[in-house]
Amino acid sequence: MSQPNRRAHLACFTFPHLALVLAGRAHPELGGEPVLVGGQNQGGRQVVVAASPVAWAKGVRPGQEWRRAEVLCPLAVRLEVDRAQVAELRRQARLALASCSPLMEWGDDASAYVDLAGSDPLRPEESSRAAHCGRALQEALGVTPSVGVGPSRFSAWVAAQLAAPGRVRLVPEGKAAEFLASWPVTALPIPPEVGERLIQFGLHTCGDCTAITMVDLQRQFGPDGILLHRLCRGLDSARIDPWREPPPCGVRRVLAGGVEDSESLRFGAAELARGLAQELSRQGRAAGRIRLVLRGEDEPQRPSSADQQTWWGEVAPPTPLATADELMGPLLSLFGRARLLTPVTVVELAAFDLVAPPVTQVGLWQGRAADREVVQRAVDRLHDRFGKGLVWRVEVRPGHPGDVPEERFVWSSR
Amino acid sequence: MGGFPVSSELAWREQRGPSEPEAGALALALSSLNFRYGPGTVHIGAPPLLQGLATGVSALDDITGCQGLPRGRISRLTGGSSSGAFELGLALAAAVSRSAAVAIIDFTLGLDPGHVEAYGGELNNCWLVRPRRPEEGWAAARALAKVGVALCLLVAGDCSRLTPRAAPAALLTALSEGDCAGLLLGGRLIPAALKERICLELECWRLNWALAHGDVCGLRLGVQVSRSHLGAPGASCRLQLNFPRPYQLRVGLEELGELTAGEELAGELLQVAGGGGR
Repeated sequence: MSQPNRRAHLACFTFPHLALVLAGRAHPELGGEPVLVGGQNQGGRQVVVAASPVAWAKGVRPGQEWRRAEVLCPLAVRLEVDRAQVAELRRQARLALASCSPLMEWGDDASAYVDLAGSDPLRPEESSRAAHCGRALQEALGVTPSVGVGPSRFSAWVAAQLAAPGRVRLVPEGKAAEFLASWPVTALPIPPEVGERLIQFGLHTCGDCTAITMVDLQRQFGPDGILLHRLCRGLDSARIDPWREPPPCGVRRVLAGGVEDSESLRFGAAELARGLAQELSRQGRAAGRIRLVLRGEDEPQRPSSADQQTWWGEVAPPTPLATADELMGPLLSLFGRARLLTPVTVVELAAFDLVAPPVTQVGLWQGRAADREVVQRAVDRLHDRFGKGLVWRVEVRPGHPGDVPEERFVWSSR
Repeated sequence: MGGFPVSSELAWREQRGPSEPEAGALALALSSLNFRYGPGTVHIGAPPLLQGLATGVSALDDITGCQGLPRGRISRLTGGSSSGAFELGLALAAAVSRSAAVAIIDFTLGLDPGHVEAYGGELNNCWLVRPRRPEEGWAAARALAKVGVALCLLVAGDCSRLTPRAAPAALLTALSEGDCAGLLLGGRLIPAALKERICLELECWRLNWALAHGDVCGLRLGVQVSRSHLGAPGASCRLQLNFPRPYQLRVGLEELGELTAGEELAGELLQVAGGGGR
């Protein structure tokens, strides 16, 4: 069977479990020691949450019963997991990765995936993008992750396992099967009994399995045979489930029905720019970098990878952007670069590298300016005299709920 | 001798000032004129330099005679349908609201504040008055002008019958006290009491539409001073008003330089014919 040419675009980041990272921060003297971090599972039983490499080598695995782990590694230092601290560290790490790419999937607190497809003019090479994400993750966690880049989740994960911390290991383009050939079948994400039967058949590595056709594997192992066939050739899914939490400073608009025409999308640019400018103004910040994300429709009948559903691009202007007028130009250029493969249903505009807004001098030519409190007192007197509803202040209601001014604005007498 | 003549001149003015009791009928006449046409209508000696509220468009500021909309006075924007006068007024209000407070007295009760916002205005600085009766609107305009809003925008409908007779004069006094510029928009049939107190009248007419991507993205309009208490009328300029469109990089007013002879002639012909362009 011919090996299809699949571009390597999925990056996998592996790092110590977050609970171990926190344990290392709290007890730096435990480096190189067997450490078990435990906690209660959903059923209320004490289980292993994370195990250090020394404990791992003795057979301890996450999810194992605590008693079993104690038997396997009796000299291990036992610590209790602090779930609140883990959640906070997870949040920081997610934000760090999300600032590099919107197509990020968080794994099991010990790995993460990033789809490297997308538009990043500053880093055309996928390895440089992966390294950029790795540096961001390192900054957030305080530990150095290993990075693997491959055409599928499994091949990228294997590459990350083989890479040293702080290094990027690339699966050669179109040679995923050769790359995985020496990987043991017992380390494949398949049921253990399938692995044991493979050993009994004398198939010890992925390379051994590639010699067998998919039909034969399916006949022996059923659906697991098909999975095995794909894993050994690096043909497993390259799809990730992106982390959808909105960025700390951004706007998100859900379009009514899919939009296929980029010209039509540009009509919403001004509204997006105004929304982001309001958010920036509320936080008192300016954007050093803005990112536009266009998410497409997910068709269950025709599943597509994340890069087919989503387009994103970034602009880092020479000066920070704070107002809608300033945001409009870069935003239109991003819309001009947009490449739509599926109808767009969600448009997101986010600001990163937030800095203090540039100082502007306003109103120097205006002369006397009314004090807001003085005006408000005058308005109060008018309301006493003529009743409420004479003088209004209006504020844009987020989300454009209607067409008439009474619906588009929040009207208040104060 | 350098300083002596100055003090002597001051003493001479003080002796002949209109506030002295012997002025009698003259003082009464001056007071009446100042009440009717606004404080400072009649001056002793040279008139004081009137300050203008800068619009941010130098071409427009240059033709008004006071580098902007005159403070303490009422200005008016006129023009036929599609002339751009109304939009110009909203764009000016938006420009002022970016750095100062603006009161919008909406006698029509139908103004969409989204227009001001679309031209880049700061709604936080805008106070929108929607009077149920005209006298409420005038009272609110006076109150807000006195406390120092920079611009009082009067969006007038047909208020010829309903405007209290003394309201325009009182507003003029309030504008002067608060150093506020008044701008009247719309209202073909305005009462005589208001019409005679208008200090500056700017007439707008459409030159042509600005197109982009096959769509109307703006309006090129001519603006001419048709009536002025500040200087000779007739000065004109050409502006482009960029409508708020999503793809528009620049929204609001833009200068286009002076009118050409042909454009002035076209404007004159339209005026003579009473056409809709002007």
